[in-house]
This record gives sequence, structure tokens and C-alpha cells, in this order.
Amino acid sequence: MSESPEVLKPLKTWSHLAKNRRRPSEYEITSVRLHTSMNNPDKPWEMDTNLHMNQWYLKYRNHSPLRLEDWDTYRDPDAIVYRTYNIMQDGQETYVKSLLDQFNEREHDKAIDTEWVGKLAILYTPARYVFHALQMSSAYLAQIAPASTITNCSTFQGADSHRWLTHTAYRTYELSLTHPDAGFGQNERKHWEEDEAWQGFRELTEKAMIAWDWGESFCAINLVLKPAVEAAILHQLGEAGRHSSDTLLGMLCDNQCRDSERHMRWSKALVELALENSENKAVLTDWMDKWMPLGINAVEKYCAALPDSAEAISNAKAALEKSRENLGV
Amino acid sequence: MAMIERTEWYDLLRATNWTPKYVTEDELFPEEMSGHRGIPIEDWETYDEPYKVTYPEYVEIQREKDAGAYSVKAALARDKFLERADPGWISILQAHYGALALAEYGAIVGEARMARFSKAPGNRNMATFGMMDETRHAQLQLFFPHANCKLDRKWDWAHKALHTNEWAALAGRHFFEDIIHSRDAISMGIMLTFAFETGFTNMQFLGLAADAAEAGDHTFSSLISSIQTDESRHAQQGGPMVKLLVEKGMKADAQRLIDIAFWRSWKLFSVLTGPMMDYYTPMEHRSQSFKEFMQEWIVGQFERSILDMGLDKPWYWDQFLRDLDETHHGMHLGVWYWRPTVWWNPRAGVNPDEREWLEEKYPGWNDTFGKCWDVIIDNLVNDRVEQTLPETLPLVCNMSNIPIVGTPADGWNVKDYPLKYKDRLYHFGSEPDRWCFEQEPERYADHLSFVDRFLAGMMEPMDLSGALKYMSLAPGEIGEDAYGLAWADIYKEMAHKKAG
Ligand SMILES: [Fe+2]
Ligand SMILES: [Fe+2]
Repeated sequence: MSESPEVLKPLKTWSHLAKNRRRPSEYEITSVRLHTSMNNPDKPWEMDTNLHMNQWYLKYRNHSPLRLEDWDTYRDPDAIVYRTYNIMQDGQETYVKSLLDQFNEREHDKAIDTEWVGKLAILYTPARYVFHALQMSSAYLAQIAPASTITNCSTFQGADSHRWLTHTAYRTYELSLTHPDAGFGQNERKHWEEDEAWQGFRELTEKAMIAWDWGESFCAINLVLKPAVEAAILHQLGEAGRHSSDTLLGMLCDNQCRDSERHMRWSKALVELALENSENKAVLTDWMDKWMPLGINAVEKYCAALPDSAEAISNAKAALEKSRENLGV
Repeated sequence: MAMIERTEWYDLLRATNWTPKYVTEDELFPEEMSGHRGIPIEDWETYDEPYKVTYPEYVEIQREKDAGAYSVKAALARDKFLERADPGWISILQAHYGALALAEYGAIVGEARMARFSKAPGNRNMATFGMMDETRHAQLQLFFPHANCKLDRKWDWAHKALHTNEWAALAGRHFFEDIIHSRDAISMGIMLTFAFETGFTNMQFLGLAADAAEAGDHTFSSLISSIQTDESRHAQQGGPMVKLLVEKGMKADAQRLIDIAFWRSWKLFSVLTGPMMDYYTPMEHRSQSFKEFMQEWIVGQFERSILDMGLDKPWYWDQFLRDLDETHHGMHLGVWYWRPTVWWNPRAGVNPDEREWLEEKYPGWNDTFGKCWDVIIDNLVNDRVEQTLPETLPLVCNMSNIPIVGTPADGWNVKDYPLKYKDRLYHFGSEPDRWCFEQEPERYADHLSFVDRFLAGMMEPMDLSGALKYMSLAPGEIGEDAYGLAWADIYKEMAHKKAG
């Protein structure tokens, strides 16, 4: 104890942030370097090395082909913390509530034509399955991500996905009140499992959900499935709604797009960070080559069932391809 | 606004299981991650979360809660409570934040495990909010202590502690990673939410909040009681799991998980919360003794909740009740003696009036633990401080990873409970600790306790200085007596008077 007589002085911030010149933000103070399981590269958890869970994390996280010296340097470009997330989303929910309320007051659901009601039952309300799958997959990414700043983005993304599920469940029930014979609240699972329109999304979703490598999971879910959902459902379905006098659906989808665009911002930032290691380019490109065809197939099959399908398909495909282009992998 | 009642459409939020076609159900829910135990998915769909909340309700309620907690902090920032707080109280805060801020963050992994791998849709939704809750708890308990970094280097440990190999941090990680991170969704759901959060977080977050209010630390009091409102919601996820397992004839499985998690929680609290409540909190601010809090929050409540589930009291229940009088006194003695090895300043808490309080709350204290303190006090009175400081390390339990202690009556009754497993000799602090190991030896087998690491030469040099280095404890961070030993002056005066 007498060897180092120098007594450590108090710092202005956490020791791990003290070398930075700028005063740390609330985001940095509360979000950075919070996973302890990355400290020992050979043993994520303080248990026997051969325990299944240690092996799972070694295989799918520590030994992922996607490598970077320090993933903890990742920063969410929106710098969201729990506190600001709730302020932001409580505001958005107040807006959505007022949308639902106002359209309800104007008896919106009575005014939509029978043909579109049929489309909603097949193409809109079953979306709760894919939204919930996004919720589950975001939870996987949250538990397997190598940095707390990535986990946090995934946690908020999971909550947002549950948000979309909630809007959809609410609308499903509301539509069933005006259109009791259209199968709302009854047939969604059947459509999701059997209707041709959903089978591309279902295949992509199921396969992406078991891509256990954290990097591949991120690629399949955030860089392919989510952009496909945004292109085909949030944009093309929303747009089709507008052309079928379902303005409410268009506005709901627009609001969810705010979340979706934020998810793409953090995803793009993570790709950019990963590319700081040039070896990751090939890794990411291989994964994108593997998953993109499933994404294209998903939007094609889904959009084929929309009115004005030819235009919907080409728009959605173009959007999905553009999204990959923007990522540079 | 005329929104449709939640009860009308809530079930649609839980109609989210489907039959996979492009992968198998077992691939989607691997047993080692999911812990469905072969119970058909339709049965998991009957899971009914006792506490229901929807997304819009959640973000609104939580925004309001945060507004409350942060505004109390802002309003009291000028109050400079810490400048006049008892040093023992500051030690409580530093120990609390260091042990818990990142552990709360780790709990996200557990909630996420349920949100992804539970076959019960209602559980997955509530766990999604659980992930959010634990994000809140970590961020609040980092943001609040961060403001104090400039006062003393020990505050850095709110973020740093669990990243280090400091022995208490190691014990904390071993515990949390056993019951949370390394378990399937259902096992961890039962161990974390049912066995740990239902009772023990009440102890830490409501019991301590009561003491904090007494001590005038309204910022901390409002912070941790606000956190507990989330805990009491997401702690309810485990109950329906236990119920289903019991219905399916898997009572023994559920019972075993609870018995392990409960014992391990108790041991952690005996070293962390026990000393805080009975020794660190200034006597006039103690709302109840640790034992009384335990009896209220754990014994009464937990006992009822397990019996309600059709389970039995853990097999070691009588020993646990007896240990309520003893274990944490031994832990406190050990932590104070090995004070250079912790990141806070232990407060001895054994002035004459405090000893009277201890004797009243724990009859026989003076004849047992008091005698050890007599020796320490005698050394301090006679200026032999070095004899109140450690040169070696204590024997450490291979399960709890905390020192093996006993009651010093007629000589120490410290007893080692050894076990030989595959040529290695393991040491345990009690029969239940050894029992935990025996339930699944392969889960723990190659783990090295702090002392195992020392003996394996992982700390250089092989003495206390090497151990401190291994623990990342440098001067300015290492613990000292909370009062710089000034509390012993009263005994010096007494000795002086006696002699004079
Ligand atoms: Fe918590
Ligand atoms: Fe919790």
C-alpha cells in the first residue's frame, strides 16, 4: 500500500470519460460502457466457462465475424436517454390519441368502402405479427449487443415496435365495431400464416429471428427487415390508404415512420462505425447479399396485393434498394 | 377524448404467437434460452400478467415519474445536503450506487431474455416495459451520483465498481449473473422477479428510502422509492410462471429455483444492506433494524407469496430465521476490518449508545460480536491501529463469494462447509451455499473466488498491495474508517477516566 503514495484526485466526471475535453452530456454520463460482460474476453459471465450461456455469448457476440476494437465508442446520433424517450413518445402518443379521437368522431370507419375494408383485414391488421416480431428481435439485439449504447438503441426500438403493435391492435378492435363481419380481431393469424401477401415477410421474419450472431441479426433485422417493413407497409400501405379515403391509416403510418427513420439513423451510424475496420465491409456485404433477396421477395409479395400493385412494387423495391445503397454495404 | 377502454382490445396485444413454417418452433425458441420445459405453447398463452399497462399509459406515467424525481434533485441541488450529511450516510450512497447502478443495467439483459424467448406473449410485452424500467434505473442511478464526482474519487465507483474485480463487485456479479444473465427466460423470470424483486428490492428501495427520509436525504429517498414503483410492477412477471409450472407438475423445479435465488439474495443483502441499516445509518435516523425490515418485507410477505403459489418455504427457512440475528453482524465486522478492500468508508457504528441499541435489537450482541469490537476498541485506545487492519485475506465462499463468517461466542464458530468435486476442493460459508452448488455443479465448477485467484498467483505481488491493485483500488478510492477513527475517542476518554 505504501508503493503508490499518490492519492487519486476527484474528477469532474466518470474516470472513463475524463480524458474527453468536452463536458459530458447527460447521454454520455448515463449510457456509455455499462456492459460488464465484455471485460473478460474469454468468459462473459462469472460462471463456468462451458456453461451454455457463456458459450452462446462467446460464439454469437465475442467471436462474431463483425469485429471492432471497442464497440463502446458507438454513439446514438439522436442521443436518446430514457427520460427524453418518454417525453418524446408521450407527445407522439398524445398526437395519435387525438388523431384516433377526431377520426372516430367523424365516423371515419363508416365512410371507408367495402373493398378497402377487405384489404385492411388482410394487409393491415395482421401486421401486428411482424411488428411484434420486431419487438422480440430488438430484445434479442439488446441482450446480445457488445456495447450499452447499442443495447439502448435496441431497447427503445423494441418499445417503438410495441407501440406500432399497440396502434394496430387498437385499430383492429375499432374496425371490428363498424365492420363486424370482416373478420377483424379474428382472422389475422390465418392471414399472416396463409395469405400469399404475407409469406415473403413471414419467411424473412422467421429466418431473421434465428440469425443468432449479433452482427448478422442486426443486418437481417435492422438493415433488411425493418427497411422492408417501412417501404412496403408504412409507406405503400399508408399511401394506398390515402387513395382509398383512409386518411387515418396514412397519418398513423407517417407517425410510425418517425420512429422508423430514427431507427435507420442509429443503424446507419453503427454501420459507419463498423466500417472503421475495413475487414467488416466484406462481412456486412456478405450478410446483405444473403438477406436482401428475402427482403425484395417480402416487399414484392406484399405489394402485389395492394391496389395499383405495379407501382407499389416498384416503389417499395426502389426504396429498399436505396436504403442499402445509403448504407454503403 | 373518447378512447376505447383498454380491456376491450388488450387481448389483441397478446395474440401474437404464430406457428412458424420456415423454421421450427424449437429453433425459434431454443430450450436453453426459452426454458419452456416442453409445456405446449398454447399453455404458455394462458399466462396472464397480473399488472397490465399499455404503451401510451406507460410513456405518460413514466414521464411524470421522471419529472418528479429529477425536479426533486434540481430543487435540492443548492441545499448541499452532502456537505452536512453524516459520513456514514455518504458511505451508504457510495456502496449503494456502486453495487446497483450497473446491476440494474444488467437486469435489462434478463428482461430482454423474456421479451425475446418467453413463449408467453403477455410476458414478452411486460418484459419489453421491464427493459425500459431497468434502463431508467441504471440511468437515474448514474446521473444522480455523477453530480458528486467532483467531491471525492469514491463517487467514480458508481460507474466503475462492477467493472472491477473488487471482491464485493465480484460477489455481486456472480450472484446477478447466476440468477439473471446465465439462465433461460423462465428460470430467470422466476429467480429474478419472483424470488428477488418481490421482496428484496423492497428492502433496499423502500427500507432504505425510509432511512433516507429520516436522515434528510430527500433526493435519494424520492429517487429510490420512485424506482421501487417500477419494480413492484415488473416483479409480478414471475408469479404466473410459477403457477403454470406447479400446474404442470413441475413444482420441484420452481421450488429449487426459488430456494437458490432466495438464499443467494439473502447472502448479498447480509453484506450490503445489513451493515447499511444497522451500522452506517446514524442511530437517530434508523426507522427499523435490518432484522425488523427483513421480518416485515421478506419473512411476512415472501412467506405468504410462496405459500399462495402452492410452494413450500425453503428447506433452510429455520436457519435463515436464525441467521437474521447473526450473519450481517459478522459481515459488518469483516467489511470494517478489511476496509481497504471496499470503495466506501465503513462506519463502525459501535459507540456506547449504538451498542445499547444493538443489544436491544439483537439480545446477546455484546457477548458475541461486541467482544470482537472490544478487542478492536482496545487496540484503538492503545494506538495500535495497525492491529485493526488486515494483512491477509479472509476465507471466501465459493457460492456467495463473500467472506465466511460466524458468530464469535466462545471463540469463533466460523465453519467451513467443504465439498470435493472433480478433484477440486470448494469452500462454502453455509450448508445452503453448498447445497446451491450441488444443484448444478457444472454451472459453477471452474469459477475462481477472489481468494482462489490470489492463491493462483493472479495478483502481483502476492500480498495486500497486489490484491488492491487487482481490485483497481488506489489511494483515494480505498476505504477507510468513515470518521478517521475519531469515534474511538470516547473510549479513550472512558479508559482515561477509569485509569485516573
Ligand atoms: Fe430495477
Ligand atoms: Fe427490476
